Amino acid sequence: MAAFTEAAHAVAHEPHDEVKHVRMNRLGLWLFFASDGLVFALLLSARFYMNGTDTAPDVKQWLGLIITSVLLISSYTAYRGETALHHGNVAHGRLMLMLTILLGVGFFAGVVMEWSIAEFTVSEGYGTSFFSMTGMHAAHVASGVLLLFLAWRKAGKGYYDGGGLKAYGVSGVVMYWHFVDVVWVFFYPALYLIK
Amino acid sequence: MRRDFTLFTIVWALVTAASLAVAYFILRDMSFPTHGAEEASVIDDAFMALTYLACPVFGIVIAAMVVALLKHRSSGPNNGDGERILGTGSLPVVWFGVSSLLCAIVIIYPGLTGLFELRDHKDPDLRIVATAQMWAWTVEYPDSKVKVFGAQELVLPKDETVEVDITSIDILHSFWVPAFRQKMDAVPGQINKIYITPDRVGDRESDAAYRLQCAELCGLGHAIMTMPVRVVEKAEFDAWLKQQQSVTEAK
Amino acid sequence: MTRVVRAPIVVGLVLAIIGFAFGAGVLGAIRTARGQSFWEIEVGMSVGYVFALIGWLAGVGGWQHWGREWFGLEAKPYTLTGWKRYFGFSPDHKVIGIQYAVTFIVVFLLSGLTAMLIRVELMRDGKQIFTPDQYNAAMGFHGITMVAVAVAVLLGGFGNFIVPLMIGARDMAFPRLNALTYWFVPPVAVLLIIAVLMGGWESGWTAYPPLSSLHTKHGQVLFNLAVITFGLVSILGGINFLVTIIYERAPGMTWSRLPIFVWGAFAASLISFFFTQALAAALLMVLLDRIAGTSFFRQAEGGSPVLYEHVFWFYSHPAVYVMVLPGFGAALEILSHLSRKPLFAYRWVAGAMIGIVMLSGIVWAHHLFTSGMAPYLHAPFLVLTEMISIPTGLIFLGAIGTIWAGKLWLQTPMLFALAFIFNFLMGGVTGIYLADVPTDLHLQDTYFVVAHFHYTIVGGEIFALFAAIYFWFPKFTGRMYNETLGKIHFWLMFIGFQLTFIPMFRVGIQGMNRRIADYPHEYAGYNTFISLAAFLLGSSFLFFVWNMASAWLKGRVAEPNPWRASTLEWQVSSPPPEHNFDEIPVITDTPYGYGGGPAHHRPFAGGALATEEG
Repeated sequence: MAAFTEAAHAVAHEPHDEVKHVRMNRLGLWLFFASDGLVFALLLSARFYMNGTDTAPDVKQWLGLIITSVLLISSYTAYRGETALHHGNVAHGRLMLMLTILLGVGFFAGVVMEWSIAEFTVSEGYGTSFFSMTGMHAAHVASGVLLLFLAWRKAGKGYYDGGGLKAYGVSGVVMYWHFVDVVWVFFYPALYLIK
Repeated sequence: MRRDFTLFTIVWALVTAASLAVAYFILRDMSFPTHGAEEASVIDDAFMALTYLACPVFGIVIAAMVVALLKHRSSGPNNGDGERILGTGSLPVVWFGVSSLLCAIVIIYPGLTGLFELRDHKDPDLRIVATAQMWAWTVEYPDSKVKVFGAQELVLPKDETVEVDITSIDILHSFWVPAFRQKMDAVPGQINKIYITPDRVGDRESDAAYRLQCAELCGLGHAIMTMPVRVVEKAEFDAWLKQQQSVTEAK
Repeated sequence: MTRVVRAPIVVGLVLAIIGFAFGAGVLGAIRTARGQSFWEIEVGMSVGYVFALIGWLAGVGGWQHWGREWFGLEAKPYTLTGWKRYFGFSPDHKVIGIQYAVTFIVVFLLSGLTAMLIRVELMRDGKQIFTPDQYNAAMGFHGITMVAVAVAVLLGGFGNFIVPLMIGARDMAFPRLNALTYWFVPPVAVLLIIAVLMGGWESGWTAYPPLSSLHTKHGQVLFNLAVITFGLVSILGGINFLVTIIYERAPGMTWSRLPIFVWGAFAASLISFFFTQALAAALLMVLLDRIAGTSFFRQAEGGSPVLYEHVFWFYSHPAVYVMVLPGFGAALEILSHLSRKPLFAYRWVAGAMIGIVMLSGIVWAHHLFTSGMAPYLHAPFLVLTEMISIPTGLIFLGAIGTIWAGKLWLQTPMLFALAFIFNFLMGGVTGIYLADVPTDLHLQDTYFVVAHFHYTIVGGEIFALFAAIYFWFPKFTGRMYNETLGKIHFWLMFIGFQLTFIPMFRVGIQGMNRRIADYPHEYAGYNTFISLAAFLLGSSFLFFVWNMASAWLKGRVAEPNPWRASTLEWQVSSPPPEHNFDEIPVITDTPYGYGGGPAHHRPFAGGALATEEG
């Protein structure tokens, strides 16, 4: 029994434990990204399996460029927001989060517009890939916007005052936002640029 | 310990010998459906080769279990422990090496050799098109414009290589005649080919292996999606084909 | 009365109904605005279900104990005590383990009953009790529920209960996520049962399009939704296990000191968290083809059913290792403790498990040898598939090396664990015939395949499951099962199993294909024999249920460590106290301290680490 008497119990609630907690959450989140990423990867593969390297000639290049830029910029504002909150600068952090939310909504609106003016239907081969890929991605954007909004709201209530590990929640949401952004970095060329 | 090994060796030899005997004298003759095509040899030989190779492997595990069960039972947890054998020595290395070697053998023969033998087909003497639909087969003989459907018969000549072009007009089905062994899915919009050289006369009346059976779940009528198969001598086949042609023309 | 109304399940049901009405209503409004009919059954069910699921999860406790925090409110404390904890949202891994285990054993028995009905139908050729339609419904239900059981019962039930105890943790890494994950399961069962009541679906558990995407009944949509939901259970559970095992090990519990069951759970979680999304993606494509008009599987638009087969098997082949890896772990664990010997070649066995994980992801196309996929894929997938026999062989080495010169105490769990070796040997050897292209061309989709995967999954995992049930029953319940009834169960099940499935190999080679409600008269003799043997197999579970029920209610009170086993879970009281360990143990050596060697715990030194009161 002697082996057991040396207890780790005493250190159970020290700061060290919070670091471990954040690490665990972060690993869980990354595992989730790997798992969720597979859905996107498979949709991407299905796109090439079905359509080869064809693109629809009538896809709106200008719109694609705009929404892609909007989404990439939103990743920057999200990063600014996260950093500000980690340093305890709540006001700036909230501003940046709100900006990210607006850009996210803008992206979503762009996808909705693309859908409504598309000159191909969902039952065509290319339409199948296009609508399922952008649809799945837009659903993730929508959930990301919702999460950003919750983080923005909690920041307003003072949950992240003081920054540091307390603001981990924001980091989680922002990492999710970057993940969704990275997916688009693969989807955009596959849907718009390949010739 | 040494007596354990002696017993192990004896049991292993017995189990291996017995299972080889069963494989050679019983399985080889009794298990397969009628050998109805040349290509069936590749498959049956592969099956038997794998079985023979499996026997000694099977024997090792069984023998180890028999030794443990016969000689090392205990009536409770308080009769002391077994020997502290950790298996950190060379045995796992040897085991790993031998099993890798066995695996390599199985991959090469009967795996890859069989695969290439089946793919290495001769020029066909006859081409037929088998089209699946829910839930019946249509077989066409394009050269003579003959078509059989549903409960009619698929008739093939003996000793001629037949190319079967398999396709489907609705959902997935699969072309399988147990006597010919090979199986291939019928995929809508795609033509899959197999090559069969029937080498024995036979028919569905006397042998269930002579039936064209759908082997991919296709809903309600999957079980009854069959067509009788008859293999006849070349002369008889030609006569049958002529007769069918006249029937078609009469229509 | 208010207590009944406030019961989590009732709240969940109410919110689920409200959610469904909301989702279907909003959809209907949009459809009406676009000039379509208000209600279209398949789209309506799909959209309604998404909101119903959210309502259910929120109502059953997800909102009270978790969701509130997201909105800046305080989470409510857990107030349920005693048996009521099992019917609510509990973060305790031991409660969740029992929730999974009991749920899936009930589903297992239900599904087994369906199998009995299938065997009645197949007892003779011609129609017995089912129309072909009902037969397909029964077969699909048996298939998917058994797959779900096999994926979740050992990992969800025993993994949850035992793994944190084994590694010296107080709980799983994400206790609330764990609780939420379990509550995804009831909707899956409800959907599948409704689907069967609506006439079932015709495409079996594999749901191959175009049959599933164009032809079968509305039940297909419910099937897809159910399986996608179930996928979430697998993914979230897998992530939880991985993070738990990586971060929550007690001090000194290094990777080479993990009990082998933990390795099995770890390896299985690696597969389930990653690959399960492929199943979701495949079924989502089918769903979209049905309800959104996409053309994933319409040849005219460039789609192909072969695409589905690739995506589907990219998950569904690794899935069999999600099933058997915890089975390997449990069986080896029991073989070691009840032979009173350390696990043989521990590092090789753990390495083999990881090897299986790595190979499992690159062998899927051996299910497509007859599908008409590109011929150049045949050879590489043949080679890779055969290579799985190498790590599997090392598992066998571990098993027989462990029982060699041991002190075999042939209690019920040991019998099941030994039967596992034999059955999995049969399953493994016959797998080689199916990995080999020439033989597979003949054997694919015959009863040979049916016999093979029943030998691996039932003979391998389910036998290991019963070994685990009997072995850990005292730890779960604090009571001892009846040894005589246990042995009767074992022998009936073992003999019934062999007699059922060995003839299936034969009849499959002979030319009987699978998934058929009727067969040529020539195969009737075999099938009558198989059916009778299957009833013998089925009858064994009567003894199991009787044993479990009577032992749980009024069995002899169990000691903390009836097996005198050396792993950590046996050093605490039975059942373990709420926080597992009064003091987190510090580990100094390997888990199997038999034969006088050092151990991270001496086999039962006389006192428990913690007791119910302590």
